[in-house]
Amino acid sequence: MSLSLFKFRDMVILGLHGVVVHKVRSVLTILGILFGVWSVIAMLAINAGLSVQSQKALRRLGSTNIIINSIKPETDAANSGAYNGALVYGLTLRDVERLGTNTPGVVESAILHKTQKTACAGEHIRAVGVLGIEPNYLAVANGEVSRGRFISDLDILLCRNVCVIPQSFANRMFPADDALGKDLHLLDSDGKPFHIVGIMETLPAALESQLGESGDAVLVPLSTSRAEFGSMTIRYSQGSRSVEQVDISQCILRMENESAVIRGAGVVRNLLQRDHPQGDYALKVPVEEIKLMKADMRRWNVMFFLIASISLLVGGIGIMNIMLASVTERTREIGVRRALGAKKQDIVTQFLVEAVTLTTLGGLLGIGIGTFVPWILQQILAIETLITPMTLIVPFVMAVVVGLLSGFYPALRAAKLDPIDALRHE
Amino acid sequence: MSLVKIDNLWKIYPLLAGDVVALGGVSLEIKAGDYVSIMGQSGSGKSTMLNLLGCLDKPSRGQYWLGDADVATLTDEQLSVVRNERIGFVFQSFNLIPWLTIEENVEVPLFYQGIAPAARRAKSMEMLSLVGLGDRVGHKPNELSGGQRQRAAIARALVNDPLIILADEPTGNLDSATTLEILDLFDELNQNGCTIIMVTHEADVAERTRRVIVLRDGELESDRTQAPQGGKR
Repeated sequence: MSLSLFKFRDMVILGLHGVVVHKVRSVLTILGILFGVWSVIAMLAINAGLSVQSQKALRRLGSTNIIINSIKPETDAANSGAYNGALVYGLTLRDVERLGTNTPGVVESAILHKTQKTACAGEHIRAVGVLGIEPNYLAVANGEVSRGRFISDLDILLCRNVCVIPQSFANRMFPADDALGKDLHLLDSDGKPFHIVGIMETLPAALESQLGESGDAVLVPLSTSRAEFGSMTIRYSQGSRSVEQVDISQCILRMENESAVIRGAGVVRNLLQRDHPQGDYALKVPVEEIKLMKADMRRWNVMFFLIASISLLVGGIGIMNIMLASVTERTREIGVRRALGAKKQDIVTQFLVEAVTLTTLGGLLGIGIGTFVPWILQQILAIETLITPMTLIVPFVMAVVVGLLSGFYPALRAAKLDPIDALRHE
Repeated sequence: MSLVKIDNLWKIYPLLAGDVVALGGVSLEIKAGDYVSIMGQSGSGKSTMLNLLGCLDKPSRGQYWLGDADVATLTDEQLSVVRNERIGFVFQSFNLIPWLTIEENVEVPLFYQGIAPAARRAKSMEMLSLVGLGDRVGHKPNELSGGQRQRAAIARALVNDPLIILADEPTGNLDSATTLEILDLFDELNQNGCTIIMVTHEADVAERTRRVIVLRDGELESDRTQAPQGGKR
């Protein structure tokens, strides 16, 4: 039953011939597979793009970081340390020391204290989050100063009134001038302006949780912040007054490596649960979130894949339908070929080659369009998409397999035709 | 020596209403170079006989020798090989594949032998020239007249150098002039040594052969030799 290589090549040519001769039928079949393949590719590319985008965002937080933010607790339980009617909550320096000492794998920690102030530059006045930080915050939080410099040890030591601001805020406060080197007044300070020593194109991602929608922030030396503004924030609203006291708004623990993050996160969680039963903190572990997201994306991938596979299945049913119609239409030809010496295997091969050729062509065209469509979506909808070799190979292989499976039954049916009946077929 | 030998050949179709005997114990021998016509009324078993001789069907009982092969015992695949290498078919309705050129149609038996395309093409051209279609090789069957199509079918039947040519009502779809043309071609082939077995219900066609076998109700009614009439002889 072995086909010679020579004969196999001719069978393939015969199959291709069948595809070329029945153009309309072939084009319609190819279209079915083409839509299936490109929809699988597009869905996988969009999902992969979203996954990469989210992972990038999380990695910007630092894959070796554990970030702890102070948050206002939902209950009044936080009020246990009330002082002068102030709501006291969040992390303290003692917490940071304890976390640094008891958590294995901590390389360094960076802390931040936030107060809400009003910034003023000429006629421009805006509410702004004033973030008191230490010089190491920049490296720990993966930040970058685009122009000028960051807060230095000397600024901390001398409690200097210097600040670093993001470019967006600089544009708002100094729309006509370069903000670098200018002075910024922060109301409630002792009146001495803050000299802008650095501009950041974007703020570190870890700060996002500390800022409002505007993203306006002024980064000042932690020592200056403590000296000028203290740790109390007084809010006035609808005739009432609330006072909050937060010692440390954010603490970032930089760990040795990603596995130290996983181990350390457990320890940090336990320590905080013990010391802050009121839940006035939020723990963010980017590595854990990336892992969860990857698992989530895998699930979405499977779901997208299944949904898109339905279109391939429909394409496959289309092929089977068309191949069955082809077998009926070509019954007499099958009879003639059998009479002239074609074995059953030859007939199976001929029809299988036709089916696989159709799906291969559909698959290749689908890959062409499938790579183009995500690009269009990227341009129009600003969705990040990602096409990997697997994004292309999987749908293509699926299309070929669909062709084989859907072509097999019609091919078998063709081969089983009785030559005499087939020759009599009108 | 006999080229075809059938001995007590039966073909029975089992049906719910009872068995139908299409061929009931026919025995005969055909020698190489014979020109035989099989005649009979509708339902006499001549098509069944042709299907069995052409290895398109298997007998229910009996023996069939084609050359040195006991065909009755062969598998489906082996029968395909016998059809491919030892038999040339000519059908009433030509049975050319419509989407192939006549040259490609003639190549079909060689294709299943795994012969190289160049050799296939050369052989097919040779056969088409033999039947007078050397200048129509690139034409599709629907671009040819009935007579030309049957000539192409004859070229296809000859291309594998068969032991026998089986023709099933080869002139049934042709007008009188073309019928004569095709019968002349058969005469010529037979004179060149081809063994031809032809099923026909037309007496004037059977007159062209040297031997006439008549079947009736699946049995051999008569088997006579004759001096061929008409044609170019």
